[in-house]
Formats: sequence, structure tokens, C-alpha cells
Amino acid sequence: MTHKTALRMVAASVALALAGVSGAALAAKVPAGVQLSPKQELVRNNGSETETLDPAIAESVGANNLTRDLFEGLTATDADGKVVPGVAETWKQKDPTTWVFNLRKNAKWSDGTPVTADDFVYGWQRFLDPKTASPYASTYGTFVLNGLEVAEGKKKPAELGIKALDKYTLEVKTPYPVAFLPDVVSNLNLGPVPKAAVEKYGKDWTKPGKMVSNGAFVLKDWQVNSKVVLEKNPQYWDAKNVQLTRVTYLPVEDGYADVKLFQSGENDWVYQLPPGTYDKYKAEFPKDIRNAPMLGLRYYSFNNKDPLLKDVRVRKALSMVIDRDILAKKITADGQVPAYGVIVRGTSGADVTTYDWASWPMAKRVEEARKLLAAAGVKPGTKIKFTYNTSEYHKKMAIFAASEWKTKLGLDTQLENMEFKVLLKKRHDGDFQIARNGWVADYNDATTFLTLVQCKSDQNDNFNCNPKAEELIKQGNASQDAAKRKQLLTQAAKLVMEDYPMLPLLQYTVPRLVKSYVGGYSLKNPMDRYRSKDLYIIKH
Amino acid sequence: MLFRSKQSALAGTLDNALNNAPVEGRSPWVDARRRFFRNKAAVASMIILTLITLACIFGPMVLPHSYEDTDWEAMSMPPTTLNMHFFGTDELGRDLLVRCLIGGRISLMVGLLATIASVTIGIVWGATAGFIGGKVDAFMMRLVDMMYAVPYLLIAILMVTLLGREFYLVVLTITVFSWMDMARVVRGQTLSIKSKEYVEAARAIGVSTPKLIFRHVVPNLLGIVVIYTTVTVPGVILTESVLSFLGLGVQEPMTSWGVLIEDGTGVMETTPWILLFPAGLLSVTLYCANYIGDGMRDALDPKDR
Amino acid sequence: MWSYTFRRVLMTIPTLLLVITVCYLMLHATPGGPFDGERKVSAAVMANLQAKYHLDLPLWQQYLYYLKSLLQGDLGASFRYADWSVNDLVAKALPVSLTIGGGSLLISVLIGVLLGTVAALRQNSIVDYFVMLLGNVGSAFPSFVIGPVLILVFAIWLGWMPAGGWDGFDVRYMILPMALLTFINVSTIGRVMRGSLIEVLNSNFIRTARAKGLPLRTIVVRHALKPALLPVVSVIGPLAISSITSAVVTESVFSLPGLGKLIVNGASNRDYTLVLGLVVLVTVVAVLLNLLVDLAYALLDPKIRY
Repeated sequence: MTHKTALRMVAASVALALAGVSGAALAAKVPAGVQLSPKQELVRNNGSETETLDPAIAESVGANNLTRDLFEGLTATDADGKVVPGVAETWKQKDPTTWVFNLRKNAKWSDGTPVTADDFVYGWQRFLDPKTASPYASTYGTFVLNGLEVAEGKKKPAELGIKALDKYTLEVKTPYPVAFLPDVVSNLNLGPVPKAAVEKYGKDWTKPGKMVSNGAFVLKDWQVNSKVVLEKNPQYWDAKNVQLTRVTYLPVEDGYADVKLFQSGENDWVYQLPPGTYDKYKAEFPKDIRNAPMLGLRYYSFNNKDPLLKDVRVRKALSMVIDRDILAKKITADGQVPAYGVIVRGTSGADVTTYDWASWPMAKRVEEARKLLAAAGVKPGTKIKFTYNTSEYHKKMAIFAASEWKTKLGLDTQLENMEFKVLLKKRHDGDFQIARNGWVADYNDATTFLTLVQCKSDQNDNFNCNPKAEELIKQGNASQDAAKRKQLLTQAAKLVMEDYPMLPLLQYTVPRLVKSYVGGYSLKNPMDRYRSKDLYIIKH
Repeated sequence: MLFRSKQSALAGTLDNALNNAPVEGRSPWVDARRRFFRNKAAVASMIILTLITLACIFGPMVLPHSYEDTDWEAMSMPPTTLNMHFFGTDELGRDLLVRCLIGGRISLMVGLLATIASVTIGIVWGATAGFIGGKVDAFMMRLVDMMYAVPYLLIAILMVTLLGREFYLVVLTITVFSWMDMARVVRGQTLSIKSKEYVEAARAIGVSTPKLIFRHVVPNLLGIVVIYTTVTVPGVILTESVLSFLGLGVQEPMTSWGVLIEDGTGVMETTPWILLFPAGLLSVTLYCANYIGDGMRDALDPKDR
Repeated sequence: MWSYTFRRVLMTIPTLLLVITVCYLMLHATPGGPFDGERKVSAAVMANLQAKYHLDLPLWQQYLYYLKSLLQGDLGASFRYADWSVNDLVAKALPVSLTIGGGSLLISVLIGVLLGTVAALRQNSIVDYFVMLLGNVGSAFPSFVIGPVLILVFAIWLGWMPAGGWDGFDVRYMILPMALLTFINVSTIGRVMRGSLIEVLNSNFIRTARAKGLPLRTIVVRHALKPALLPVVSVIGPLAISSITSAVVTESVFSLPGLGKLIVNGASNRDYTLVLGLVVLVTVVAVLLNLLVDLAYALLDPKIRY
């Protein structure tokens, strides 16, 4: 995300912009009548070994799951994905670019010392310091005054727009109005960091016995590639509302191994079901299966600079003939939703757009697509190269797409699978024709998806550019009226997709098995961010 | 990795057996054949293996399905005579029998080609080192030792990543790490042949070194090469399957037994035939190759009379 | 023999240097760097990351830098596991791999020798074929099939063992992975033992012993076993190397925190220092194991002198 895109995020959510959110403690609410198990221990698979437990450099979903349990930022998101108070009890947008956060006085580090505004100042400065080299520095740095300049080494960390007015009052300056800042600061990259521990132990401060944290849990044990064990933090200000006493995170990558651990009772939480197994496990474990859409898009990038694909008619024809219904129902068969636009359902800030042909019968779509190809001078038998990274999931989808293009358009697709890193390199370098791609939102706003198709965006692998759409996005972001902004961004999304820069396929879902006795798991969590604080074990 | 150790295993035995063996003047082949046919398991294996090979070559030509055509109406179908899906279909509705046979072609070809390549390199390397001797020998054999110390899997991953996953590159990747045992064995054998009278005689009348090696030494290595080849083939086929497990196998929609088995393991509880057929074919082939290898070893063992 | 040992140990140095250099070049030639992710980081952040890990230096300087820290026993910092040094990671994974690999090897030698002996004594009989059928399971089925079948039967259907994972050095977690590796190793050891015992039984001194009327049992135990074991010893080296350092499939199927897992993850994440560190370790282990085997060989075989 660039500085420019951040500018466009002005005036996202009106509700959040309202000053002074009430600071009532919102934690694991056990519904009345639910009997808790005497043993409050949870084992959840995290998909892979975390790259770090240092909140400043955490990048992957797995690492953030852990830091979200170990630390607490100014705000947090609850089981339904809503922003709730964290260390900050209340906050206020004093003027368009100045925010004041009032910290609760009972927030403590696990060593008993209070969490103060200085801990946040230190945490933020450290996060953006080039020496820390956090991969997310520019993603969130853009929301803080001088954030990008600090990350680029042009300004000193001390010049960052964050200041402790007193021990429990924090002032944050943004380079432009950022209405959804309370949402952004729930990310632990922007959390507090215990300066004393970091300075005492250096890089080792994240190790068991050395780490000092302020979240609902503390680090008990960390065996690389084996497990990370957290225990309830008695010093946590809201400890009385934390039910779990112990959470074990597993790093199992192999989906089948994951399910086997679930079946043999060593794992309560399958990270993600292997492709094509959803129906089977749904029948086998009807009480444990959980599946909900999240803010993510599976798509294929067209290389818009490619001699064959630079013709919009070719791109349109390729997109038209993919039967997303069969793909969703039969190939991935895990409840994913067909997608015909760059914005997915549940995204705030823009409506889902679609293509007019999406509702046509397939025969008509094929006929139209053939006409388009003929008009573009592409003959049957033409070779196209499809690149994807090695994975059962992507392989199945690729074979499906190749089969659609072959049987419906007579095109000869050559599949080429490669290691993930090689695909990334090729995608970024534009060394491909059609490539597998995907995106999961960093925050809930349409702009996170629009970065995929915007001119010169770091995340645009299609190399397309629509100046008119660009202008609409700019206008939308400048608008203070949320409804107007939404209309403009939707219009932009529609317009840019008429260029067929990419081929949207499916909206992500998270099909997983979670033991039925794990309570507090909400199916309305669009970012798939589950704090262990909100979870509990039901008597079973 | 797995098969590398197996090769050195047998290489060790062979080393022992053949280094000290007198090179017979009379035809040892008749004897060997007689002994081989005494081993019923080996003979049966030979027949089965021939049948599998023929099926892989000709099966796809006569069957009505193509290995790459998907059928969304017939996904994961159990074996049936309907529509001639005798092995059923895979998760994308492709005919499993044809895919098994096509996969067999690839696996057998990988086995054969990688074996030929590594045996050839091994012979040339070992014979040269053994025959020239001295510093050249020491240097060449140190290189072999170094190759043993290299983490095979890592290099295999990097090679496939660097070069791509074309069929011949998979062969190359496997070959790079499977020639050393052969080289060691051949060197040992060469050392013993070198001192034989006929070689010395040839040298005395001025035959050049390369000619000596390839005219007189190499032909006398045939016995060991034959045994060794039968030992290498199963190891190489198994290695190909491990590469497939790591996602480094041949490119879809082309397939191999390793790729098919890897696909099948995930669904072995619900649609077991997707695993059982390719795994059955692979293991029968490997068993046969192993029995034949043992039979050959026994048959060509010079002490076994 | 000491000077021989010394020379062999000395040979480790050029071996290491060559292996490191080749791996180093291959790693850097492989497309994609350690910091390429699904989300492309901005140019400034990339520069910060590269500076932090000295990747902004010219390649040869990085190489020299690496060799220098290697000389000081420092394998560097891992990119993928940012909180750990490579030394830490290796020190944690090595005991796991040693336990599983070494343990299974011991069992395999016992079972393999037994099976091989039985098969050799009944050469070309139904017993021979059957024993070898059993012994060869590990070389006829890919380990990524045997492993899941073991889990299915013993962990899920019978519920006797955990389906995977690792808990300190809890034996329950070791049984299935060790069983899998044992299947693989037994097939090799069994075949070698069978072959070499058949050979020895046909040699002149055994024939003499038989002619003297000694019972077969005495002949096998007193005279044939020791020479027949020599080739078995020579395979233990390579087997140990592969069981300890490259049990990738086993570690992946059973979710074990061993060396093989680190190698594969390191390579796919372009974790240069981690991979090189493991290369160093594997090479040293390989050289030492081969040396040990050669020395053991010399002890067993009076004909060999170093």
C-alpha cells in the first residue's frame, strides 16, 4: 500500500470516526446456560511455524495470531471483527489529523509494571526504525505522520507523529485524516513493546522466560517446528474474563497431517481443510465443521503487457468461459463464492460489482467468447502459458481452467507449476502470461482490493492502468461523505474491471474443523482473526 | 537418499564379491542363466515386469480415454466397467487406468534413463580412476567422497527450482546423485582386472590407454553392470516418487506413479482406489525389480557354484 | 591408523569449502529472495531488510563474511525464523533427528540381520521369498504411503499412539516415526545381509567347516556371521546419514521438528544462512559417520590396514 492509497482511505467508517467510544470491558462472553469445562486448554493449529514472536516484525497470519494473544494494542477486534477497546479505554479525533488515546490505568505488563503511553511510543518508533526492518513498515507507517520518512531513513524515529502527553495519554498525528485509525491500531505491529526487556535481552527477548507481554496470555514454551505454548496472564487487566488457561499453537503445514491430529484428539482446531475434503468432513464431523467467507479473493493475473493478452477481447473471452459455479461446487467444493469483480462480499467502502454476462447461460457465453477471440485474430490451437505455485489446491483449479479454455475455446494451455518464491518473482517481474494470484485484506476497506488493479501499485501484478478509474478513486477518497465515497469507489471498481485486467474466480472461505466444544468461535469474523481471549471450552 | 544408500549397500557386497573374483575364461553366462532360472521368484518377477511394461507402452493406445481429459460428471468414480473406467476416475474425473499407464511410462522411463546415465557415468569415472591410478585416482575418488557428503535433497530441490521440471531434468537431477556407487565398484573391479595378464599383454604391444580401458576393461565389467542396473532401477523410481511428494515431480497434466500416489494418499480413506492402483503398480514393479536384482546377484556370484 | 584418521578429518575442510561454495552459488542463482512475499514490500522496506542481513553487499563480500563467521563457529541469523540463530535451530533439531534416525537404525540392524540370515539359510525357498517380501516393504512402497497408513491404523483406528508431533522426548511420539524409518532401513540391511551371507556360506572355509561335520548353527554363528556382517557395516554409514539428516518425508508426515524439515523449509524460503548452516552440519556428520564406518570396518576385517 502506498502513501497515495492511504490518502484515499480518508473518511472510511463514520461510526469509528465518532469520538469517544465507550470503554466497557468486552471479552469472552460466555452465553448464559453454557457450562464451562473444568479444563480450559485449547490446541490450535497455526498453519506453519511462526517467523517471529516480535510484534514489530510479525508479517504472516500465523505470527499475528500469536502476537494478538501475547500483546494488546490500543484497540482490539472481537470475535465478530468489531473494534473494541484494548489498552486504550477511550479515544478521540481532536482535529482531522490528531488523535488522543486515553490509556487504562490498570493495564500491566506480565512483570507487573504498568503499560504506559511511553511503551507505545517506543513500540511505534521501533516498528518503523529501518534497523528493525519490519516488512509491514510501509503498510502501516503511511498512517502516522512521518511514518514513511522514518521507515526510509529520511527522518529520525524521534520525529514520528506519536507523543506521550502524560503517562496514560497518547497523542497520534496522521499525515492526513484517517477516519479508521482505531481499526488500524488494533494491529500489533503498532502495539506496545517492553523497552526494558528488549534492551536487556536484545534479539532474545521473545524467548520463553525472557518475554514480557501485556496481552491476555504469556509465553510459556516455544519449540521451533513443534509448538508454542501460551498460558493465561494473571497480570492482564481483564484476566477475569479470560477463560482459557493454556493455548498451544501447532505449526503443522500438511493439511492431511493436521486433520489426522484432529481425529486422534491432539488438535482442536484444523487450520484449513485440504482441498476437496470439505464435504467429506462435513458429513463425518457435522458438529465440528466451520466455514465462513472471509475478505479474500482468488484470481488469476493476466499479463496486460503480453502480446497476446494485451488485447482486451482475449482477456474477456478467457474470463467469460470459466464456469465459476462448477469450480466452486465441484472442484474446490468448500463453499467458496463465485466472484466476478475485484471487490468481495462483506467489504466496506464499495459494493460488489459483476459482469453482465455472469447471468447468461454458458452456451451464450461461449459463443460470445469465440466471437471475441475470432475478432482478435486468435485461432484455436493457440498456446497460452499458465503459471501457478505447487499446491494441491492451485493444481486442481489450474487443470480446471485449462480444461475450460481447451474445450470451450480450443486454446492449448500449458501448465507450469513452480515453487512459490519463483512464482512471486515471475509475477512481480511480469515474466508470465497468466498467473495464479490471491489477496487477503489487511483491513476492511475497498481500497485494499483496489490496490490490485491500480496504476503503479506495488500489488498490481497485471500491469494494467485505467486513468479514469484512478481519478474516480481519488475523488472518492477526497469525499467526506461516506455514501458518496462508496458510490465513487464502486464505480471505479466496475470501470476498471471492464478492462478485464485480471480474472476474478472465487471469494475465500475458511473451511476448518474446530471441536464443537470450543466456544466463542464466530462465523461473522471477516478477517479470520480469533483472539484466544474470546474462546472457551464448553463442558463435554 | 533412500536409494543412494541402497546402492552403496549392494555396491558394498558386490565390491567384496567381484573384486576378488577371478575373471573366468569360459562362458560364465550360461552358468549364470541356469542359476538365475533356478530362482522362481526372479523368473516370475521378470514375467510380471514385462507384462506391466507392455501394458504401459500399448495400453494408452488401445484405451478409449486420454490421460488429460477431465469429466466433471464423473469425478472420483469407483472402478466400473461403465464407460470403461476399469480403475475408476481421479478427483478431476480423469480415467485412472490410462493415467496409471501413462504414469508408468514416465516412472519406468525415469528409472531406465537415470539408471543408464548414472551407470555410464559411473563406469567411465570408475574405470578411468582405477586404470590410471595414482594422483588422478586419488583426486577422482575424493570427488566421489565429496558427493556423498552433499545433502542430496537440498541440491535436488534447488536443481528442480533452477532448471524447471521437464522430464529430462528430473532424470538429470536423479542421475547427479546416483552414479557414485557405480564409480566406486567399477574402480575396485578395474584395479583387479588391470593386473590381469591379458591387459598387461595388450599394454606391452602398445595399445593406447583409452583403448585399453574401453576394449579390455569395460567389457569385463559387464557382469557387475548388469546386476547393478537391476539394483538401481527400483531405487531411482522410488526417488522419483519422493521428488513428487516434495512437489518436484513432472508437470501436470503429465503424471508419474509418484505423482499419482502422492495425490492418492490424501484421499485414501474416502476414495482408496485412487491410491491403491498406482501404489499397487509401483510396489509390484519395485518388488519384481528387487527379486530380479537378487536373482541376478545370486546368479552372477562367482563363488556360488 | 591415527594418521589415517587425521588425514580423513583434514579432508573435511576442502570438502566443506566445495560443498558450501556450490550450495551458496546455487542458492543465490535460484529465483526469488528471502523477502519476496505475497505482499510485495516497498523498495525502502526491502532495502532495510537487505541491509539488516548484509544482503546489500556484493556477493563475494557476503561469501567472505559468511566464511569468516563460520570460522568463529557462528552460522549466522536465520531469515525465516527471525528470532533464532542458525546455531539455535540446528541445536534444537539435531537431537530429534539423532534420536529418531539413530534409534531406528539400531533396531533396523537387529531386524535386518535376522531377516537376511533366515532368507540366506533358506535361499530360493518359499521362506526366502516370504521373508524378503516382508523385508522389502520399505523399498517397494514410498514412505509417504507407509507413514499415513501407520497413522491411520495405529493412531486413528486403534488410538494407541499420537498421530504426530513431538513432546520433549516422550517415547509415544517416537514409535511410529521410528517404525517408518525402520521399514526403510530393514529393506536395505536385510538384502545386503542375505546377499553377503550367501556368499560367505559358499566360500571355501565354510565348505571346509561343513566337511568337518560342524553343525550349521555353529558354522553360521561362529564363522560365517562375522565376515557376512562386513558389507552390512559398510551400508550403515550412508543409511545413518540419510536417516538422520534427510528423513524429510518422515518428519513431514509425523510433523516432527527435525533437520529434514529445516532443510526443506530453508530451501523454499531462500533462508540462505539456515540452508548453508545445515549443509555444513550434514557434511560434517556425513564425513564423520563415513570415517567411523571405515574404522569399524578395519576392526572387523583383519585384511584392512590403514
